[in-house]
Amino acid sequence: MGMWKEFSKGLWAELPPFRLVLGLCPTLAVTKTANNGLGMGAAVIFVLVLSNLFIASVRKIIPKKVRIVCFIVIAASLVVSVELLMQAFSYPLYQQLGIFVPLIVVNCVILGRAEAFAGKNPILLSAADGLGMGIGFTMSLTFLGAIREIFGSGMLFDKPFMWEGYEPFTFMIEAPGAFVCLGLILAAMNFQTAWQAKRKGTDPVVIRCSECAACEVGAKDE
Amino acid sequence: MREMIKMVVVLSCICGVAGAALAFLKDGTAVKIEEQVLTFVQGPAIKNVFADYDNDPIMDRKKFDVPGTDAKVTVFPYMKGGKLLAVAMEDFGGGFGDDIGVMVGFDANEDKLIGIGITTSKETPGVGTRVAEPGFTKQFKGHATAGVELSSKGGDISGVSGATFSSIGSVIAVQNAVKKYDTLKQEIQGAW
Repeated sequence: MGMWKEFSKGLWAELPPFRLVLGLCPTLAVTKTANNGLGMGAAVIFVLVLSNLFIASVRKIIPKKVRIVCFIVIAASLVVSVELLMQAFSYPLYQQLGIFVPLIVVNCVILGRAEAFAGKNPILLSAADGLGMGIGFTMSLTFLGAIREIFGSGMLFDKPFMWEGYEPFTFMIEAPGAFVCLGLILAAMNFQTAWQAKRKGTDPVVIRCSECAACEVGAKDE
Repeated sequence: MREMIKMVVVLSCICGVAGAALAFLKDGTAVKIEEQVLTFVQGPAIKNVFADYDNDPIMDRKKFDVPGTDAKVTVFPYMKGGKLLAVAMEDFGGGFGDDIGVMVGFDANEDKLIGIGITTSKETPGVGTRVAEPGFTKQFKGHATAGVELSSKGGDISGVSGATFSSIGSVIAVQNAVKKYDTLKQEIQGAW
């Protein structure tokens, strides 16, 4: 029961790019096509699940004062591994993602989940949390990538999607298009939350910084 | 004191395990990665240089020792009907950004270039990257292996306007390849 809750929160309620607003750099940069979004998401799932797993398994022996350093060493080693594996088995994807593969190390989702969850919770729960967040991240990136690819180049997963003679709205593939698209998606999600809260008669949740649990900012000291 | 020792020990252990695991993984994937890089980085340039062949230049590639240095050079053969028509090798010359990688094709029977292709470059997009365009590269097709030089230095290759360093770097890469080919010509012609 506990495992499902930890796993499923990353799929909607605490969706990393659209709700926690974490990991926006790759979200904006690699979503020119749905395929790239999917590939980046897969790499992040690999790093996030294993990072949460390893950190949860050594959380009791890491001294508090050096915990961030240890988290970073573990995360960075996993990112280098994913880079090597990508180069060996999926080189064209590696060429497409370019510098954003090594930048997974500084993706706030990785360190945020390590600090907020894996550092204090048992191994299986942490793995479930990592998997849920990773899958949520992948779905978000693939969704945003799909929208930008469909409107910006008329294709989806490199296959023609729009009708013949569709004039691609190339703004969508450029950087400003990414920001506008992300903003619209965030607006839509906020609208949906407010509408749902209104239907249930509750107040729309205004999350204060310390209640979010995505990272430790604003948390009371133990 | 005890706390400090614990910190040092834990951190060193984690770094040690991480380092060992990564070294192991790098060794394990080295061969696969080399193959992939050849297919996707050098591959397109090899196809650009020469098109009339029926073998797989990457599978049939051979490494030769460059006499007088410790370096090795990988040579990709173009064959048709079992006969060696041409070879290609990659060499480098300093451009505006880092080194420019150029795949240079040589006719196996005459002392001519059959063409060039750019493999890797960090040149300015739209300016230096134009050395990869046919406007520049077609000047090397059928050119004698001797006397490859920019027109600004007395030769007959026109550089890309506004991309001086990129043009110089590409030509230097071709000259380096020619030097290696001249020393290895006999060996190469007998190897396939």
